[in-house]
Amino acid sequence: MRVLGIETTCDETAAAVVASGDDGRGVILSNEVFSQIAEHAGYGGVVPEIAARAHVEAIDRLIARALRAADVTLDQVDGIAAAAGPGLIGGLLVGLTTAKTLALVARKPLIAVNHLEAHALTPRLTDEVAFPYLLLLASGGHTQLVAVRGVGDHIRLGTTIDDALGEAFDKVAKLLGLAYPGGPEVEREARRGDPERFALPRPMMGRPKPDFSLSGLKTALRIEAEKVAPLTGTDIADLCAGFQAAVVDVIEDRTRVALRDFRERVGRPTALVAAGGVAANGAIRDALARLAGEAGLRLVAPPLPLCGDNGAIIAWAGLERLRLGLTDDMTAAARPRWPLAELEAAPPAS
Amino acid sequence: MRILAIDTALGQCAAAILDVASETTIAAEAIAMERGHAEALLPLLDRVMARVDGGFHSLDRVAVTIGPGSFTGLRIGISAARAVALAIGIPAVGVTTLSALMAPLMEDGPKRLTVAAIDARGGRVFVQAIGPSGRLIIQPCVMTIRDVVRNLGSGSVALVGPGATMIAAEARAVGIDAVLHDDLVLPDLAWVARIGAAAEPDEALAKPYYLAAPDARPQDGARLARL
Repeated sequence: MRVLGIETTCDETAAAVVASGDDGRGVILSNEVFSQIAEHAGYGGVVPEIAARAHVEAIDRLIARALRAADVTLDQVDGIAAAAGPGLIGGLLVGLTTAKTLALVARKPLIAVNHLEAHALTPRLTDEVAFPYLLLLASGGHTQLVAVRGVGDHIRLGTTIDDALGEAFDKVAKLLGLAYPGGPEVEREARRGDPERFALPRPMMGRPKPDFSLSGLKTALRIEAEKVAPLTGTDIADLCAGFQAAVVDVIEDRTRVALRDFRERVGRPTALVAAGGVAANGAIRDALARLAGEAGLRLVAPPLPLCGDNGAIIAWAGLERLRLGLTDDMTAAARPRWPLAELEAAPPAS
Repeated sequence: MRILAIDTALGQCAAAILDVASETTIAAEAIAMERGHAEALLPLLDRVMARVDGGFHSLDRVAVTIGPGSFTGLRIGISAARAVALAIGIPAVGVTTLSALMAPLMEDGPKRLTVAAIDARGGRVFVQAIGPSGRLIIQPCVMTIRDVVRNLGSGSVALVGPGATMIAAEARAVGIDAVLHDDLVLPDLAWVARIGAAAEPDEALAKPYYLAAPDARPQDGARLARL
């Protein structure tokens, strides 16, 4: 079975082809990503209209490239999947309209994929992880701890009540005059900084529900930075180190609480999974590895190219849904907000 | 040449299949709407194509309105047009909404100054004007209604497009004989197809013609001073 996947939720335009064999294992045949980072860099964040404009210019070429690289024609794919949300509406409409049209012309099933579920199912593509597992999804747009029980069957254990983790990294980078996207920049600065110099809070630590809050930490960092401004290179490194250390502590604590919650509500997880762009941060990965070891679990972190936005994870989620008969029709709507809890689940196994 | 024409740039969601040589419309459907094009277009396309012998694979070309118009709307039509082109390996060409709107009055040479106008909000319109000699009087741009009227001279003016009534009111107030073409408020798909059929695919690209920059400014305000 082969599925074409289309991703246009934010600032990457992407298309990929993923296949599964008789044993159900997934293989990425192609994964083409065009990042719009350069077009948004001057704005310190993603500008929705600029993103939408870039998607419509690029998506058909990327699809053609993905099909060519996979050495398949449109007729040879079994389904066409597009991320239908959550995300920026302008881009979603471009990707979903393109997917619907391809599905209509080539007479293939359409699968409107939830972008969060695509991240949630990725460890099954990369590491064949069995349900159920605990997922920490942390990116520029999302921060969630999710019990993944099956396709379309997820319990959100915790989420952020304000900024997403990746967004907090971006805002700190912007404040300190570092480049966008901020995650890698802050991590690089943090490596040579002193995490103890600035006393920063650990918001939500110790709370019984595994939610996150980043705005207080961000404000505290701003106040500390303003006290010492104008900033030297050392100041910037120390601020980044302090910020990252606080984030690591919070993630470790929140994930530990989520694990406890998981055991009570779902049972024993097969793995702890870290997905999304923030999982690319080495310090955060180390902390999660520590935590997984402590809990006797395997830590699964999909390879970096699959942690960011890409078409392969959309294609894989589409494939998982398609083989359960979960498809969509031509009236499928783009959904800027689309919580995992509102997903259609697979019919119960008979 | 059998051509599929699509328009979702303004107040309709419309598709038509035409045989250009015989000037016959094989199938067509248009639904008036200000929003909801994304949900409506594909079911509409499915219905229209079901009435075409040979279906999508009998098409030679796709023509789509590329704006100016609703940024979101025109991207929906363009995404669909380009996807059809990709799926069956035919060219997709772009037709501006302004030229499609004016085309019916250009057929036998314009009799008077012809203005196509589309509401661009805030007292402004996307506009184009062509004189009786065929000369371009106002090249496609965004302009205040007042500035449009200032450029019209004193002769009789034909007005088309969804912004025509706005221009008519202002023009008549200063004594210009403004002829409002109520039947030419939205692009006629037959004309989109005809213009598209005549276009060079390498030049008339099916890419958005926004005529307005994205509303965003670079931000530096949040950054702290650095030594």
